Amino acid sequence: MGILPHMKNLNLLNNPLTSLGKAYKKLESTLGSMKFAVVIILVFAIALVYGTFMESYHGREFANKLVYKSWWFMGLQLFMFISILVATLNRLPAKKMLYGFYTLHAGLLILFAGSFLTYVTGVDGMLELMPKEPSNTVRVQEDQFVVGYPNGEVKIFTLPDGAFENEMNYEEPGLQIKKYLPFSKLNTVWRPSQGTPASSAVYTIYNENVAEQMIMSLHPESDFQSMQKLGPLSVHFMPETLYSCFTQKTESGFIVWNTEEDICYTAESENYEIKKTPTNNLFMIIPHKGEYLKFFPDFSPLPLNDDLTKRQDTPFRVFSKKLFEKKPNLFLFGDKTVFFHKRKGWLGREFTDKRPVSLPWMNFKLTLDSFRPNAYPAQVPSYSRPVQDQGEIIEGGIKAVLINFYGQDYWVRSDQPLALSNGDKQVRFQIKSREIKLPYQITLDRFKMDKNPGTNDPASYESFVSLLDGRTNTPASSHHVFMNNPLKYDDFTFYQSSYFQVGPNEYGSAFSVNYDPGRPIKYLGSILLVFGSTWHFALRRRKKRKFFEKESTIESQSEKS
Amino acid sequence: MLRIIILVLFSTSIAANVCTQDFESLPVQAAGRVKPLLVHANETIKFITGKSKFEGMSSLETFCKLSLSSIGLSESFELPIKVEHIEAKKLMDMDENSNFIPSSKAMNYKELIRAQIMKTKRTSPLKKELNKVWARINNYELIKNGQSWTVPIFAENKALWHGLADVAKDKTDIKNFFKNKKEKYIELEGDNYLMELTYVKSHIFDVAMLLALIGIFATVLLKSPKVGVFFGIFTILIEIAGMTMRVLISGRAPITNMYETVMFSGFGALVIALIVMIFKRDKIFLLAGLGYNVLCLFMMKFANNMLDPSISPLVPVLRDNFWLSTHVTTIILSYAALALSWILANIVLVKNKLGKLSKADYRYYEQLIGTSVKVGVVLLAAGIILGGVWADYSWGRFWGWDPKETWSLIVLLFYMAVLHGKYTNWVNTHRFVILTAAGFMTVMMAWFGVNYILATGLHSYGFSEGGAIFLGTFFMVQTIILIICGVSLKGLKSVQVNS
Repeated sequence: MGILPHMKNLNLLNNPLTSLGKAYKKLESTLGSMKFAVVIILVFAIALVYGTFMESYHGREFANKLVYKSWWFMGLQLFMFISILVATLNRLPAKKMLYGFYTLHAGLLILFAGSFLTYVTGVDGMLELMPKEPSNTVRVQEDQFVVGYPNGEVKIFTLPDGAFENEMNYEEPGLQIKKYLPFSKLNTVWRPSQGTPASSAVYTIYNENVAEQMIMSLHPESDFQSMQKLGPLSVHFMPETLYSCFTQKTESGFIVWNTEEDICYTAESENYEIKKTPTNNLFMIIPHKGEYLKFFPDFSPLPLNDDLTKRQDTPFRVFSKKLFEKKPNLFLFGDKTVFFHKRKGWLGREFTDKRPVSLPWMNFKLTLDSFRPNAYPAQVPSYSRPVQDQGEIIEGGIKAVLINFYGQDYWVRSDQPLALSNGDKQVRFQIKSREIKLPYQITLDRFKMDKNPGTNDPASYESFVSLLDGRTNTPASSHHVFMNNPLKYDDFTFYQSSYFQVGPNEYGSAFSVNYDPGRPIKYLGSILLVFGSTWHFALRRRKKRKFFEKESTIESQSEKS
Repeated sequence: MLRIIILVLFSTSIAANVCTQDFESLPVQAAGRVKPLLVHANETIKFITGKSKFEGMSSLETFCKLSLSSIGLSESFELPIKVEHIEAKKLMDMDENSNFIPSSKAMNYKELIRAQIMKTKRTSPLKKELNKVWARINNYELIKNGQSWTVPIFAENKALWHGLADVAKDKTDIKNFFKNKKEKYIELEGDNYLMELTYVKSHIFDVAMLLALIGIFATVLLKSPKVGVFFGIFTILIEIAGMTMRVLISGRAPITNMYETVMFSGFGALVIALIVMIFKRDKIFLLAGLGYNVLCLFMMKFANNMLDPSISPLVPVLRDNFWLSTHVTTIILSYAALALSWILANIVLVKNKLGKLSKADYRYYEQLIGTSVKVGVVLLAAGIILGGVWADYSWGRFWGWDPKETWSLIVLLFYMAVLHGKYTNWVNTHRFVILTAAGFMTVMMAWFGVNYILATGLHSYGFSEGGAIFLGTFFMVQTIILIICGVSLKGLKSVQVNS
């Protein structure tokens, strides 16, 4: 009676072993089988087809996040690796006829291993150099959320990789990071002005060929400006109080605006005297709190100090209307507008009953779509798959992080950093690419571009850089970097990749910066792969000639084993 | 009245005298390089009017007369400007059945076209067409203003190029003026550019097409494969001569645009076919090679909307002759081998459908097709790896999931799945032949589709462009052949062959 349980125990002990053995056999026959290989190859190919179409519609970054850098795609590659590995092990011990097969599949496995090593340890970044400015910052395509605290402390959060809306759950007193949108577009929403007396308005300017909506705001927290340029036309959105002065006739054309009392008057109505400097520049003096403020309205609406620097601390602004007569300028005052007509002079118009106002340039007309004296427009991001057109992302290219700062939600956008205050302490938020600081400085001394004769298309571009390594005592070394001639230093290689214009005939240079420890492994795998596949097919052909009759039985055997 | 007639006669006779055939060899700088006037005139007139002749005049004569009208040596005249898109025609108030608008009328719409282009924010077929039409009008104006025809001015032993109207001051002896310019240019820079004149005038690829067709006829009708092989080799030699000329003109390997890759693949397929014929003495390889060669030459001659025959400078990234020639050549040769397998597979499928194949024959042809596929697959794998090495060498990245490289990998994977599938009971002889015939669709997608379908992006689909229509038609025809020849009682029976 006492033996029976013991025997049972023995069986229990043995069972897992045999089932483990069976499991391995099963694994061997499924994962290593030809059918599994066919399935995994096809699934991988289909995933790639999907990836290329996503790339075409939504751009490189989206395709990377959705397919090529996603966990399931990594999983597929792992399955391929296992399939090749098991299939190769299945065919051991080595048979002479399969030497090509072993080489080819070993090559593939090594190639996979090398790629994995590159993926894990390699660096693939960008170094952008402005002319003559030393830099050591390499940017890597990996988004980070950076929080800068008033005490100088900086916290860096790695943003999640998902292609869609990502939840983030970070919390500390006063700050909560809620979610991350890797792709978003901006929507305009209206918010109450809350005590700041500043108006906003939406206009449409159009003619038979073009139409453009203009959202303008005077509110300091608005994402929209009070000034816009539309080609040669400058559009200025101004407080309503200034309207009367712009339409009044003035000899000098000088309009004074007292921002404190929010009133305006002309230079003549207050009898301010206008004088000329010895160099024929007009200036005007306004007495204010025992001081004499000096204005040169043809240069700046702000008063100038004796050393010609601008003073921001007074409530006075003086505009010179004559300055706006030379080029097209449009002034908007909520439901009124003023512009200069070459023959008729300064004209004021009011928007009534949604009727358009005719402007004196290229048959342009202007309508007021909405006027909000007590609200301001803000831009709020919402998730949007990016849209690619001719290789450029035209929509959905903004990254955004939603945070809660002392009870209120804010969006931090990749196109503009955000600074928020709690009391007198300011916290700064920013989305940016991960940066790697090189232990040496690189400076772009000269950039050279050759163009195809008679055209503006670049034929080649070359950078002359100097590299200064502070760790050694050697002086800066000079290098010539151009297409197919990279600079190798330390672990990194710098490849000339593109350029950008910074001024007339002045260019900055962009390098792709690379560190790849998997390189020799990948090359070894590649050589084995090509060599092995040639060998394999050559061997098989010879074999076929000899064993033409037997072929099908050999194949079905190798399939079964 | 008589005076006017005399005047017209007189002026045209001047022009007729001036614009002689020997102007074809004058050097002109256009689109980033120096070429003979004939080539520039052909390309420009073809671009503007879509045709190579205008009212009985050759492109050269048309271009020459219109250019010389800028300095009063000829009467100015109008050219028909090509407009194809229906919306573009509506915009220019054209008759919807006509594809041409007189240049004077078209010039009135220039501003409107520009505005329409600016207004359309996203790329669309219409926007592309309007850009083209605008460029055509602009090109017409450049010719008419004597700016398209450039003439070298020599300063410090360098040739600087200016519009004809700006430099041809001495109108009385314009012929001598041009002759001197040409002689001086050749003295300074050599007469290398004249090679292109020989190339264009020889119509060398038409000759090759003729030879290949004779080869096919000899093999099929005269039942003389030896004559066929002779003409095949002759075709190859002529094509080598043609490609050598292009190399000498452009100074780079002849595989940098779609036109050249089609050319090289046709050539490569014929070479591979003839080499394989040494081992497998079967004329079907010769037929497939010659057939595919003719197909490629046919496209080069008649599909110029899609395959641009002109030679233009390369983008900086590709300027590396070693890698360009090794990588692209390997890939195109692999496509050539796969094309052979594709043609063979289709021939075999049709033969099988017509009931002309015994089981043994079918297995035999499977072996032949398999040989082409294996050559193609090894070359493709090597080509993809060479591409990776080039990318690594040029910008430090072995692989970047770029659509072109990804699609070449998809092609490789597809054929790998088929080859592995042969070892299972999923793929028998009949299915293998079907799959190789279908497999070339992945090649076409990697080769043409990435350029003509994927590169245009989501929002500009509209199958209006030559490349997309061509691809769509190809996929459709191939699919129909597969359906007709693949699903049949005969096919179901042949499932038994391999098992």
